[in-house]
Amino acid sequence: MHVGGEGDVRSAYCAASVASLTNILTPTLFAGTAEWIARCQNWEGGIGGVPGMEAHGGYTFCGMAALGILKQEHLLNLRSLLHWVTGRQMRFEGGFQGRCNKLVDGCYSFWQAGLLPLLHRALHARGDPALSMAHWMFDQLALQEYILLCCQCPAGGLLDKPGKSRDFYHTCYCLSGLAIAQHFGSGDLHNEVVLGIPENCLQATHPVYNIAPEKVARAVMHFLQYPVPSLDPA
Amino acid sequence: DEIGLIPCPEARYNRSPIVLVENKLGVESWCVKFLLPYVHNKLLLYRQRKQWLNKDELTDITCTLLLLNPDFTTAWNVRKELILSGTLNPVKDLHLGKLALTKFPKSPETWIHRRWVLQQLIQENSLPSLATKGNLGAAPVERIHRLVQEEMKVCSDAAGRYPSNYNAWSHRIWVLQHLAKLTVKVLLDELSSTKYWVSMHVSDHSGFHYRQFLLSSLIRRTVTDNNILVQNQMVNEQNPSLQKEEENAGTEAACAEEQSVDLPRCLDEEMELCSELIDNYPGHETLWCHSDENLSNSHHNPATSHMTQAMDVDGLNESSRQGYTQESKRLKRAPMQDSLGSEMEYRFVDKVLSTCRDVDQARFATAYRKWLVTFLGQ
Repeated sequence: MHVGGEGDVRSAYCAASVASLTNILTPTLFAGTAEWIARCQNWEGGIGGVPGMEAHGGYTFCGMAALGILKQEHLLNLRSLLHWVTGRQMRFEGGFQGRCNKLVDGCYSFWQAGLLPLLHRALHARGDPALSMAHWMFDQLALQEYILLCCQCPAGGLLDKPGKSRDFYHTCYCLSGLAIAQHFGSGDLHNEVVLGIPENCLQATHPVYNIAPEKVARAVMHFLQYPVPSLDPA
Repeated sequence: DEIGLIPCPEARYNRSPIVLVENKLGVESWCVKFLLPYVHNKLLLYRQRKQWLNKDELTDITCTLLLLNPDFTTAWNVRKELILSGTLNPVKDLHLGKLALTKFPKSPETWIHRRWVLQQLIQENSLPSLATKGNLGAAPVERIHRLVQEEMKVCSDAAGRYPSNYNAWSHRIWVLQHLAKLTVKVLLDELSSTKYWVSMHVSDHSGFHYRQFLLSSLIRRTVTDNNILVQNQMVNEQNPSLQKEEENAGTEAACAEEQSVDLPRCLDEEMELCSELIDNYPGHETLWCHSDENLSNSHHNPATSHMTQAMDVDGLNESSRQGYTQESKRLKRAPMQDSLGSEMEYRFVDKVLSTCRDVDQARFATAYRKWLVTFLGQ
């Protein structure tokens, strides 16, 4: 993550995210990365921090998103990943848990639910005929209920679960999850599913980078104007 | 051996806020708001080169800081510098970390620093001239073994202090991978020493995941050892020179010793443990999850089917392992030897379904039964 720091799936995602947006992504930069990420997928179907670790929502998002950027999702067992993540939505609360047998947490509204658009895209690329053209493969309304009814702080901001205090991290990821739950697809296939009054609808977010899709497009366009920097000394 | 904060909003008496009772260190809470900014500021000034601190002062200040807030990376990094310059004994940081973990069992920075320290110690170990530094001149192997045992204890304590402590269990796995080299003995020892713990923490998914890690490492180990055995046999047939035979005999003996791992029995015992816990503690998803994977391991375990050279063991190589689906695994293995195991599973699940009163238990059992039917194809 930083010089002398720990290395895990998150850093692969950060690197891939930055490199792809700024047009410095070269095959040498990520040589072996995709294969390493794939080794982080375990028997549960989810992805751990490093090979051998327990499957965890945060790491799974980072792994899947990174592989999406590197166009190597096929290295994963997508079916077991789908099985694992859909099992993480809580039948009572509607929100998601980070790992099996743990409690629901608002921030996983993004880390876990955000996997479904990524899976949808990867499976669609394979030509899976069973994919919906209107909904993600999780209960979008139930997640919105959890976020809107349980995760809002009366003084503003959002949180993990009732009883916890608000913080910027949970505010960010609850809102991101809400955006994912409200918007399916894009362009011609865009389908909005909004719980409650229309004013509840948020702007859509990009499932890989979690910034507005227009911003992604602008960044990519901007940096495409510049050549990919070479590693040779000037 | 333990630290903690004593809730004490006001300084009532004119005395030190530090309380030491039976080897446990307490700090009265009123002093924290004075102490923490003071030491924090001092360290920052040092870092900004505005105020010099000598090695002893640095050691004390970082120690204080980290016991109050162990996620302060800069403080750990200052200690890294002290260790690299030879003025701080790395073993001290293991002790400091252990203490910090009694109050902050998850602290990611503490675990990360711990791994850095351990890596330093391993490197030292491989240099014979430094083998006596920081320890009592024990032989390197013995030293590593003691380190490993101590790490297991630290992980276990931290895991007990916070449910499903991802960082503690991840560290435990890391230690086995990098310090203990995943020998069969260590894997078996860990299986037996964690058995009681997981029985007392039936919802702790991380604990059960650890057992899955141990079992899959054992399976992988058995397969590689069998491969070596098979290859040696082939070499022996081709090359009957005396010297080579001795070498191979040595390796074979080692493999034979390792082959004394009764893998099917390990897996059976794991199934038994799981079933027992499911019966005693209804409604824990972790246990059912663990059960699924155990059954999968039992059926697809190469040691339970006949070992032939034609058998496809490629799938268990690390790189291609993740590409495996349940279906492809089944097709590549020799035919199932043991339908007795699956019968027992059906009987177990049906028994649970007919006797349980817990809603979640019933749901898990039904799902498990459906999975059995699909998976076993019976």
